[in-house]
Formats: sequence, structure tokens, C-alpha cells
Amino acid sequence: MSRENDGFEFHPTRLQRFLDVAYRFINVFVRWDQLPTMLAAFNIAAFRDRLRAHNLHHTGYGAKSPGPWKPGYERWRSPDGSYNCPGHPRMGMAGTRFARNIPLAEGVPETGDALLEPSPRLISRELLARHEFIPAPTLNLLAAAWIQFEIHNWFSHGRPEAGNEFKVPLPRGDDWPEKATFDGCMHIQRTAHDETKREPWLGATPTFINFNSHWWDAGQLYGHNHHTQMKIRSERDGKIRFDGEMLPEDPDMEGVDFTGFNDNWWIGLALLHNLFAREHNSICDALKSAYPKWNDEELFQHARLINGALIAKIHTVEWTPGILAHPALQFGMPAQWWGVHQRWLHLLLGEDNEVSRGIVGSATDQHSAPYAMTEEFTAVYRMHPLLPDTVSIRPFEKGASETLDFINVQGKKTRALMKKHGFLNVLYSLGTQNPGALRIRNYPNFLRQFQKDRVRDKTKPAPPLMDMAAIDIMRDRERGVPRYNRFRELIGKKRVTSFEEITSIPGIAEKLREIYKDVDRVDLLVGLMSEDLPEGFGFSDTAFRAFILMASRRLKSDRFFTDDFRPEIYTELGLDWIRNNAMKSVLLRHFPRLGPALEGVNNCFSPWNVVT
Amino acid sequence: MAIRITIPGIIRLAWLRSPDEIVAANDSGVVQRSLSGLGGLVQRSIAAKLAVFRTPDGDTWPAFRDRADPLRTKHQKELEKTLSDTRTLLKRVAPETGALASYIRSGSTNRPPEIIVQQMVGRLFFEDYAASEESYDAAHTLQTWVSGGPIKSYLLKASGALKRALDLIITLARGNTSCAHATAIAMHNIVDAVERMRQLAKTADNLKTLSPQDAIASALRAPKQVVRETRDGGPVCGTHLGARTLVVLRLESARQQRPDVGIEFFAKGWNQCPAHAVVPSLLAEIWKKAKAAKA
Repeated sequence: MSRENDGFEFHPTRLQRFLDVAYRFINVFVRWDQLPTMLAAFNIAAFRDRLRAHNLHHTGYGAKSPGPWKPGYERWRSPDGSYNCPGHPRMGMAGTRFARNIPLAEGVPETGDALLEPSPRLISRELLARHEFIPAPTLNLLAAAWIQFEIHNWFSHGRPEAGNEFKVPLPRGDDWPEKATFDGCMHIQRTAHDETKREPWLGATPTFINFNSHWWDAGQLYGHNHHTQMKIRSERDGKIRFDGEMLPEDPDMEGVDFTGFNDNWWIGLALLHNLFAREHNSICDALKSAYPKWNDEELFQHARLINGALIAKIHTVEWTPGILAHPALQFGMPAQWWGVHQRWLHLLLGEDNEVSRGIVGSATDQHSAPYAMTEEFTAVYRMHPLLPDTVSIRPFEKGASETLDFINVQGKKTRALMKKHGFLNVLYSLGTQNPGALRIRNYPNFLRQFQKDRVRDKTKPAPPLMDMAAIDIMRDRERGVPRYNRFRELIGKKRVTSFEEITSIPGIAEKLREIYKDVDRVDLLVGLMSEDLPEGFGFSDTAFRAFILMASRRLKSDRFFTDDFRPEIYTELGLDWIRNNAMKSVLLRHFPRLGPALEGVNNCFSPWNVVT
Repeated sequence: MAIRITIPGIIRLAWLRSPDEIVAANDSGVVQRSLSGLGGLVQRSIAAKLAVFRTPDGDTWPAFRDRADPLRTKHQKELEKTLSDTRTLLKRVAPETGALASYIRSGSTNRPPEIIVQQMVGRLFFEDYAASEESYDAAHTLQTWVSGGPIKSYLLKASGALKRALDLIITLARGNTSCAHATAIAMHNIVDAVERMRQLAKTADNLKTLSPQDAIASALRAPKQVVRETRDGGPVCGTHLGARTLVVLRLESARQQRPDVGIEFFAKGWNQCPAHAVVPSLLAEIWKKAKAAKA
């Protein structure tokens, strides 16, 4: 196997080459977000092609051969994501490595003291800690739950390893609890080590395993291996097993639903998992009516395929334009799914072009590397500031609302709370309150001193007390994700030369200077949260560059969204289901009483009507 | 004191010449061995030149591997161990050292001295390594590729000579990238040292009076310069270097200022040359043999 991305290459068309040159010139004078809508949308497409050519770097698969091919894998997804690309069966499989969006030599972590400089705890306290809740007024709290729901589909670095922890010295006067202080230091566990054999061409770049499948396959619902998948199934009519109105409880975790991936459980995740498990069962009912001779396996696998695609569609045409409310994105994201139905564009680009017809249904293409999620994409998805420190539970009809600390709506308390208040009230509550904005000094404080619940098996050690903000900083550093300025450069933006160029938030540039001294040292997360945003954006333009590349790649590389997005695979009913449904119809199918709250709401991730 | 040149879009360069600066830059976490090609056209051109030193599988040659690369450390340790058994190695290359001694003494050999040097270096890795005019031409081509100007480099690439040279060197080295580096690039330093010894021997009664150590001190030089890069800006020996600065370490200049620091082999540095013991032993042996024959 060659280092040169396993033989994959990007072949730009003449038009793509032309747009690349033209927009390089235009962007010298005008930023993409200040162009007229259509020009800005094509500017994004030019960025994407540039990134496809230069920012996909293979790190080897790591994992050995996948399990044996089974009949049916040609028509539906295997449980672990293997055989999605028949010529490269390991591609995107659970247990394979994260790839990179930067050249491998740029992904080498710093060593010695530099790795801990400046102290991640200092950054947590001085730059990330929430002083006052900054809301994201155009979003509701379901948007925060949604992205976590989706992240649980795409990536998991596994459980951190005990032993050989990073030792972060605590400054005098730090309020970190004594019981979690060791020789004056806070300990941070390391990411699980990649035990697979390293290829010599990896150089000094560390590699890590994605324990989830890399594909957009709704693995958070269905699990990432055959064993888990069988446990969530009822084995009747293709349906997911329910315990009354709710998913059953995880036998290993008190108060947590049993589902495909249930780490970091809270009421937001419970809602979405239950909602889309119900949706799965509704699809099964429809399929059974249309295809009465199908057995449990046929029904389950087809419903899984359809439900997964519906979730991907909601993410693409609703969640993303919700958080990136720029006109070019309002136009571009639906176009990514549906295409642009303009005759002139079809004539210019051809009927099969991904711009004119949409990525979905176009030809599969891995571009310049085998498909895999990347460390850099993981890094830009650090979105903990979306979580508030308190959640209000508002009754949908009448009664007093109750405000709870976030710590009391998560972990082992989740199921009891869901049972006490009911799905309708909790959905309505999350639909009518704002999440936090992805800004500096808005990191939820409960996560800065957080301890996960212990599993039922008491022989396993209790999880350590964590400062998630400090951990977020250390994760990027230990995985060799470049700091903010170099990240900008490598993703196609100019480096900044001063702290003032990053941010105009009052007092932040001075604070950055005081802590970092050198603008090149600013951590990626800090830079992303500080950066001035384009109009309508919920996160930074720098993070957006990684999204431009990777968000479309999740669709374009997956044969079930491209070559195999056809009736022979999905059924006509399945394609109609995906085409005709959206978040609102899913919500109303399972909770029809929400009607008044959703009336006139165009995007279910924006705040709903307050009806009580 | 570092000399710095910045021409936006063309080059951002820092020249380090003093031994202290070079040692500090070599140890600094800010300065990296791998070149990104970012920072200017010159950087891009140099990075493109060095990027060819890979196996067909993309395995980078050891001398271009980064400090934190676990394989670099492993290669270095293994090679250091192999090359530290100088007695065995000197026996193995006795015919070559004899031939080179004869060249130093008389100025003539059956084969050109540079081919003998290449074979001697190759045999430190493989007992049956056989150099030829063709293999030396390949090494010369690679050396020209590294140090030549843009037109020469373009011609080498366009004509296919570069690829042919790389393929031949790697084939002769049986895929061993350390051997490939030694027989294609590092050997030129030994050829130059042998040539200087020959000049020494020609003058007065140096061959009679100079000890092997003195001869080595006169003949062995450090590579003229090596290049590094700063990924991010940061302090290097008291100076702040900007991001993507091409850092040129002028080794020979530093060695002349202070010959005792072992800069020619980055002695005691993380990147100490594994041949730091064997190369002086080989040169000493050649001088000794030349001296003995004269006597």
C-alpha cells in the first residue's frame, strides 16, 4: 500500500480548475461571505475542490481484514461499515484509523514542556469558563442535542486510558478539588492507544482508532457491530425493541437507554434516540404493508437504511442551515442534497454533476484519499458551549416550569426525569429554549468539574473527576492537531499576525496576549471560539472550512448516498419516505400534539412557538 | 548572529552560522526537519526536491525523518549498533581501504576513487554491495538534484534521469533507506575527504609525518549546510523566527569556527549521525595503509 493515499487521486475538471484560479483572484479583494449569494455559493464549491485535492491524507487502515462478506451487504449496510466500498472493504469500518486533513508531517504533537504550554487548566479558567450564559438566539436546545446525537454516529476515540496521565500543574489558588489533585497536578488521561501495526511512512504522526463506523449510517441508533445490533432488535417485523413507551434501560448503566451508542447520556439524547427508534418502527410498518413477504432481516435492514438517510438529510438541509444562517448556505446546503434545478446549470455542468443534481444520487467518489473521519474534523466539532448550565422543563399544557441544573438532567437521572415529565413536555422544553453560543467564555461550568456516573459493575474503577474544557485543549494537542494559526494556514486561510486580527470581542485579544504571548501558540479551540464570525454564522469560518470538505464527503464517498441511492436498494417507498419527510413531520408523526408549537416554524432547530 | 532575509511570497530565510546557534536550533522544538513547502517559492522548490527521497511505498529516508518519529529512533539505534563494530567492518572493506590508500599514495587506482568509496560505504551494509560507474552516476545525479539550480533540476526530472537514479540506488540498497542515503548522498563527503587526503599526501612529507588523526582533522569536513523549517514562530537561540522560516544551518562554517564540537556528525544531538565512529575509522585506516606502504 502506498502512502500516496492508497492510490486515490482527485481529478478536477477544467471548470473546477478555472473556478479555483478565478476565486483565488477574487478572494484577494473580497471575502467569500461578502459576495452575492450565488457567487458565494460557487466560492464555497471552489474551496471544497481545493480542499479535496490537498486536505485528505490517509493514515492507513490499522485494522485487519473485515469479517466475511455476507449476502445482503450489496443491498444494505454491514453492521460495522465494512464493504461500503467493495474494492476496499476496510474503508470506513469501525475499528479503523482516523485520517487527517493536514499533511502527516504537520500532525506531529509537540513534546516536553511545549505540550503543556500554556496550561490547559489556565485556559479553562481564564478563557473558556462561562462568566455569563451567552445564548444562541436563532437555535433551540434540540440543535445542541442533535449534533451530539450525530457525533455519536461518526466518531469515538474509545475510553481514555488510565496510567501515564498528563500531569497539569495547578497554579496557587486554583479551585480544583483536593481529592482529584496529585502532587499539585490535575491528571488528564490519554486517548486510547492505537495498538495496530504502524506503517513506516506515518513518520512521527500519531494515529488513533475510531471505534465507531466512519460512515453516516445512524450507528448511534443501530450500533457499530453485529452483537450490539442484535441486542437492540426485537427480532419481529424488523423493529427496534421498546420497553413500553421507551427504549429499554441499559443493563450496564443505570438510568440510561440501551441503544447503539449511549455515552454522555442526557435528556436531549434520550429524546432523539427514542424519536428515531420510533421512526424506524414506523418505517418497518410501512415496509411490511408494501412488502408483506419480507422477513425480519429484510425489514430491519431496509428501515435502517431509510432512517439513516432521513437523519442525514435532516442534518444537511435543516440543522446545518440552522446554525449557518448565511444566504449562501441557505442556498448551498439544500442544493448539496437536492441539486440546483436550473436549466442553464444542467446544460453547463451536465445532468450527473453533483452541483446540478445534488451529491445524493451522483457517482461515488473518494477524491484524493480513502474515506475516513479525520482528527481535524473531530477537533472542529468540539461544541460543548452549546450546552447550558441549567435546563427549564416547561409543561406543554399547564403547570409550573422547573429549572434544573444540567447535572440533574443527565446520566443516571435521565430515565427517571423522562418518565416523570413525559416526552412531549421534555421535547417542548428543549424546543423552546436556546443553547449556548459557540463563543469564548461560554464553556458550561458543570463540565469543568464533571464526574461521569459509575457503571453497575463495581469492579470497574470510578471515572475520574474531569475538567472537560482542559481535556478538550489537551486532546487537540496530544493528537497533533495544529494550533489555531497553523490550522488556518493548512486549511487554506491566511495566518493572522496579531491577536486583534482573531477577535474583536472586548478584552479577549488582551487576555490571549497575556496567556499565549505568541499568536502562533493560540490553541485551535480557543481561536475558533474567539474568531469574529461571518454574518449569520453560529461557528467560525475557520471551522467551516473543515466542514465544507468533510460534510459533503460523508455523502459523496458513501455508495448508499450516491451510486446506490436508487429504488432497487432503498425501494420506491424508501426514497419517497426520505424525500417527503423532515424533522417536523417526524416530530408530528410521533407527537402530533406538538402542532401548535411547530406551526409556522420553518426549521425545527430554531426556537418553537411558546404556547403556554 | 542569524542572518535573516524575507521576500514575501519568495522566501523567508534564516542563516545560522555559529556553533551555539546551530546546536540550539537543532535541539529546538520550534525547528523541524520536514519541509512543508509553505512560506515562499524557494521553500516550495527545496521541499519538492527533498520530497523525492522516499521509497515507492512512501517510506521517507531516515535523514529526512522528524525528531519524534519512532522509526527514526529505531533505525538510528540499529544502525549505530551495526556501524559501531568498526573492527569487523574494517576487515570487510579492507580491499576498498587498500585501494583508496593506494590512490592517496600514488594518485592512481584501477577504478575511480569515488566508485571505490561508494562500494566501501555500501559494503558497510551489505558484504556483496557492488558499485559501478552507473551507480556512481546515479549518486552524482541525486547530489546534483539536491544542490543544483532550477534548470539543471528541471532537466534531470524531465529527462527521467532522476527517477532512474533513485530506482537504481534503492535497488542496489535492497530497499534499505539508510544504505540508500549513505551510498547516494553521505558518500560524497567521504569522497571529498579522500580527495583532500590525496592533496595532503602530495605535499611535502605529510604522509610520513602526519598522524591519522591529524590527517582526518585536515580532510574531514561537515556538509556545507542542511535545511530545516519552523512550523510556527518561536524563539530560537534568543532570536524570534517567524512561522515557515527556512532555517539554513551552515555546518562547515560552524565547524571551522570550533572544530571540537563534532558538528559534522551532530555529535550528542538527537540526530547524531550513526556513522560518527565508522567514518573517522575508515579514513584513519586508509591513511594508515597509505603511510605503511610508503614506509
